[in-house]
Amino acid sequence: MRYVKWTFRILLVILVLAFLHYNLPQHDVVRITSTEVIRMDFTRFNRFFFAQADQGTTENPTRDIRLINAVRPNGRVIVYRNEDTGVFGWPPYFKVDSSNLQAEAADLISTRDNPQWTVVTHYGWRNEFLTIFPNAIAIRPVDSPDVRIIPWVNIVILTVLALVLFMIRRMWLQFRERTIDPALENVSDAWDRVDQHADAAGQQARGVWARFRAWLNTWRGKPRR
Amino acid sequence: MFGFVRLAVVGFLVLSVVYFIVRVYLRSVHREELEKDWEQAGRPGERHDYVEKGLREYEGSLQRKLILLVYVVPAILVLALIYVTNFM
Repeated sequence: MRYVKWTFRILLVILVLAFLHYNLPQHDVVRITSTEVIRMDFTRFNRFFFAQADQGTTENPTRDIRLINAVRPNGRVIVYRNEDTGVFGWPPYFKVDSSNLQAEAADLISTRDNPQWTVVTHYGWRNEFLTIFPNAIAIRPVDSPDVRIIPWVNIVILTVLALVLFMIRRMWLQFRERTIDPALENVSDAWDRVDQHADAAGQQARGVWARFRAWLNTWRGKPRR
Repeated sequence: MFGFVRLAVVGFLVLSVVYFIVRVYLRSVHREELEKDWEQAGRPGERHDYVEKGLREYEGSLQRKLILLVYVVPAILVLALIYVTNFM
């Protein structure tokens, strides 16, 4: 039973961490090499990892996806998708300017010989087996690949999240102390009263029964001397 | 545009739940404080009257009206986010 409990807990922690890792913004320093549009035919396995059609357009089973191809400073490639998250979509980045972002990305295309480094803010994962891409949120040019990035948004979000969890715990404790415990006390008081009542009745019954028996005994023959 | 309507409706419902819970919680905390105050003040008069009077004062207080920020802050946050992500 202990193993089951711990397995469950560890799975839960992994799930929460994966959720946060997928949804919170991350920053990559990359050099953009090209932008392109491919048609995606989603399957039920990878549909989950894409957002919806652009804000203000309709949803179809298949559609074009904007991609941004880039190279990291270590030479490895990375491909971003560039999709609206919409004003009512998950995750709540409220991104509706995908076309503009694509234009910015195209503007920052550079060659290996004359690199223009950029910081791409994105969320999501790249997975080759599912054909999923991280979604680029913003791009800004930087002077060198050794730029110091402080993830302010993540700091704020995680702090607020911790605060909210703390407050939920406080609220629950307050609710338990002020509402549940008194109710339980009432119940146990009621039980006590029932108990006392039963005891008293029992006492009395014993009393009545004992008296009756004593009375019956008066009819018995007295032990002979 | 439909996204905004959906966001507004769902957001309003969710925030209403939050608003209600926060209101109940803060009232409960305040009541507890009043009960302790009554003990500390040397138990003046009926405990029930003391607490009820304090709660009536609390009901008209600024602190209580500030709970409405539960609606205001997320709305501003969403507008700010839309601006920052798309137009900055």
